[in-house]
Amino acid sequence: MEDKIYRNSLNFVPVDVAKGIDRNTGKIVNADDLDPNYERMPKCMHCKNFTLNKDKIGLGICKMMGKEHLAYPDMVAITCDGYEEK
Amino acid sequence: MAKSFKEMLAESGQEFEFQSGGKAPEKLIPRENIWKAHPRIEKLKEIYMDSLSSTNNEFPYWYTREYFQHDNEIPVIRRAKALKCAFSHLTPVIYPGELMTMRKGAFFRASFPMPWLSEGFYMANESSFYQEALKRGSASVDEHSKFGQGGGNVPKSFGKVISIAGKFGMRQEEVPALLELAKMWEGKSVDDLGNKYEKMVPDYDVKEAIMRTVVCMFDSGFTLPQGREVANYYYPLEYGFEGIKKIAREMKADVAGRADGDGMVGVNRLYNYEAVIIAIEGVQKWINNYAEHAKWLAGREKDAKQKKEYLDIAERLLWIEKNPPRTFIEAFQFIETIHFAILNEDAISGLSAGRIGQVLYPWFEQDIEAGRITEDEVLELCEQDRLIKTSIDCFASIGVVGGVLSGNTFNTLSVGGVDRHGKTAVNRLEYLIVKAGGTNAMPQSNIALHYDETLPDDFLALAADVIKTGCGYPAFMNNDIAEQFMMSHYGHEGMTVEEARAWAIGGCLETSPCCWKPLHLNGKEYWIPGGAGQPTSVGVHFIAQPKILELVLTNGVDKRTGIKVFEPHNKKLKTFDELFEQFKVYWDKAVEVLALTNNIQHDVWRKNNMGVFHSFTKPDCLETGHLINELGYRYNATFNVESAGNITMVNSLAALKKLVYDDKKYSLKEMLDAMLNNFGYKTADEIGKFSLMDQEISEDVKNDYKQIHFDCLNAPKYGNDDSYADNILLDWENWFCAHSETVESLYGEPMYSCQISVSTHGAMGSATLASSDGRLQGTTFADASMSAYPGTDKKGPYALMNSATIWDHSKSQNSQLNIKIHPSAIKGAEGSKKLIELVRGYMRKGGFHVQFNIVDSKVLKDAQANPMKYRDLMVRVAGFTQYWVEIGKQVQDELIARTEYEGV
Repeated sequence: MEDKIYRNSLNFVPVDVAKGIDRNTGKIVNADDLDPNYERMPKCMHCKNFTLNKDKIGLGICKMMGKEHLAYPDMVAITCDGYEEK
Repeated sequence: MAKSFKEMLAESGQEFEFQSGGKAPEKLIPRENIWKAHPRIEKLKEIYMDSLSSTNNEFPYWYTREYFQHDNEIPVIRRAKALKCAFSHLTPVIYPGELMTMRKGAFFRASFPMPWLSEGFYMANESSFYQEALKRGSASVDEHSKFGQGGGNVPKSFGKVISIAGKFGMRQEEVPALLELAKMWEGKSVDDLGNKYEKMVPDYDVKEAIMRTVVCMFDSGFTLPQGREVANYYYPLEYGFEGIKKIAREMKADVAGRADGDGMVGVNRLYNYEAVIIAIEGVQKWINNYAEHAKWLAGREKDAKQKKEYLDIAERLLWIEKNPPRTFIEAFQFIETIHFAILNEDAISGLSAGRIGQVLYPWFEQDIEAGRITEDEVLELCEQDRLIKTSIDCFASIGVVGGVLSGNTFNTLSVGGVDRHGKTAVNRLEYLIVKAGGTNAMPQSNIALHYDETLPDDFLALAADVIKTGCGYPAFMNNDIAEQFMMSHYGHEGMTVEEARAWAIGGCLETSPCCWKPLHLNGKEYWIPGGAGQPTSVGVHFIAQPKILELVLTNGVDKRTGIKVFEPHNKKLKTFDELFEQFKVYWDKAVEVLALTNNIQHDVWRKNNMGVFHSFTKPDCLETGHLINELGYRYNATFNVESAGNITMVNSLAALKKLVYDDKKYSLKEMLDAMLNNFGYKTADEIGKFSLMDQEISEDVKNDYKQIHFDCLNAPKYGNDDSYADNILLDWENWFCAHSETVESLYGEPMYSCQISVSTHGAMGSATLASSDGRLQGTTFADASMSAYPGTDKKGPYALMNSATIWDHSKSQNSQLNIKIHPSAIKGAEGSKKLIELVRGYMRKGGFHVQFNIVDSKVLKDAQANPMKYRDLMVRVAGFTQYWVEIGKQVQDELIARTEYEGV
């Protein structure tokens, strides 16, 4: 199930690993709190090319352009040309 | 009741927090000047003050992924492709209210690991990191909203954040990838490869012993392979990125397949130019991503003013992605972008912006004349620059970032000095830059003021006012002395008098070679200075002089660890000269083995991890087609031999000379016995406290060391214009400076001496036993290289300066002197004049550098007890200013203990 939290949302400006700014309100918010105005941020976990590794927590495989490479679900994919939303 | 160290010191006629020249007022006196930045900057600064040093895998992930796709590619091409891929994928983040943007990564204080340099730390801690990542529970709002100790540091894991090396925070979600990436570099990193080959150096075991006993602080090849140098923005400012690529393509065609008389690396020029093009393409994509993000933000922004600002940012970035800048703000944005691009290429600390008042002056002059910008708007941009530079973090090893650098990244900018004709270079922009140092007082950029007799009086008065905000800068550097050093050390590489005038400070205090280049803007030519030399973050890193002396007395064995460091000399040391000679023998051995092993580390670095983007920005790489690794820079004799604990060593030698050899009051054996027993005090290890103030006398020690300790404390001390101690300094400096020039770098160039402590006086002091000057085991050395040991400079600042200038400072890359002055001692206009006269006096005597802490020691004590009240308190440590809360306790105590001058 998708975590509709700030750090997974395009409505969030990250300040550091724990907090950031809610774009709508301009307020500082906890990165792990639910975002009432959630907009999905492209991340590997949402990509067709990504397969989660069931044996190793926090890791997976990216099959972009037919080549396999280590990847991880939480990585931001805003700048990835191979990103294709599931 | 047993006496404390503080009481013993007072009984000997010295005391901590000694007040020279009077008594401080009873009440707590704040700094005289309190200035504020523009509201926009204050708002952004609030974000900074509440932000944590944060890291992620983004850059290392894409770098690694691309790098391993290109097995067998020419190394420089492989490197360039990896850099291009990494830059192209950095997620842009723009904060509301910013006028200039771009940063190292996707956080306010972003940095990232570079496992291709060193991955051992992550592998050594793999299981603990993994367990931390697994067991973190859900985030707690209370946890994250508190400041942990140390301002922006993340000393402990909390919520879903894992602490890396006690400073950086990383999301638990990122940790498995961090470990997998590190594994991919095992055996392939500069650290691993360097270590494999440095073991082939004869006497490698001496190097191992030196590192394990903290005779030396850290290796240089993989920790900070670049840095402590001056950036050069000239080529992008003059030609723009498309212009540079055009030059590179033309040169490629000229050199393809040709050796042109150079059978070793002549043909490499083809690959080097190709690599430069590839690297620039990566940076251009990075800029473009930011521009697109700014447009996206504008598209959803409801506030009209903010919307326009996002659109302006987008337009500027799209322009500088390809072209030379047209306006002041475009030029300023461009140099910030280039600065970050260089920083992201390598683990770099101390990339100094240089003389940006000269560099940006063409656009400033023309924009002001044309009415495109006001001085107030320029001041606001200078304030934002300070925020940008202070937000820079460097992800290096814990011993480096914490122990040596205290988290500082040393992005010094230089003002003052002279132009290429030898006339004052001060311009209106430099006044605003210095003013911004006061209105937005933050640790970066450090401001280095090149003192010259042609400086305008009002410029110096402004500098004094800024110092009186308590920020610790500008520091003053002697322009004449620096130029002399440039000529004597770089003359064989073609340094001229005119070029020597371009010099600037790299890092905190590294006199660095620069050059002049002709910039053209709207038909007018301006000659701007910029860096032209290799890093000075390289060579032989801090060797603890008091530790070497200790090893002389203990016949080569480190008594703290039991490790044999040097071959036993087995000499009786019957005379002072014999003792001093043996010191030099051990010093020479340490330098030799460290130079050879570090040369190998750097050689591995230059073979696989050469600077590509950074290289083309420095003369004469673009012209010659050779990058840093092929001596492409104009000046390559930049490697240094660093010392630490200079004055503690001088004082210790003076005590031995007086008590053992001249007065014959004690034998060397008795002296050593007292030192090994820490003069009857408990050891710092025993009590778990390493600060000066906390040392406790031991009830268990059988012998009474009080008298010998008293005599050691009372022996002649440097800093009192007393030739007994000062002549020892003179002898040492003459020998050390000459000896350093006999050491050869991997580039076949002579090294030179570098005398700054940064924070090593804390870290290295903690690994050194008691010394014959009366200092106790584990406590700090005297800071810097010309500062007196706390409480021992009794005759005022001019006597201290006389002591410091007994030797010729132009023989060394630098010398470093910190002075603490009570705010009431330099109050008002009269006080400012006295401060400037103090500086003048020192410069005219031949001192190279002096910097000031204008602070009431009572404030520092209160800040230690109540850190949350003083989140933005800054102090000058040794060559840099840092937030009090981000400095370790050892150095905090040493700062409190420094002599405070009540009168000047």
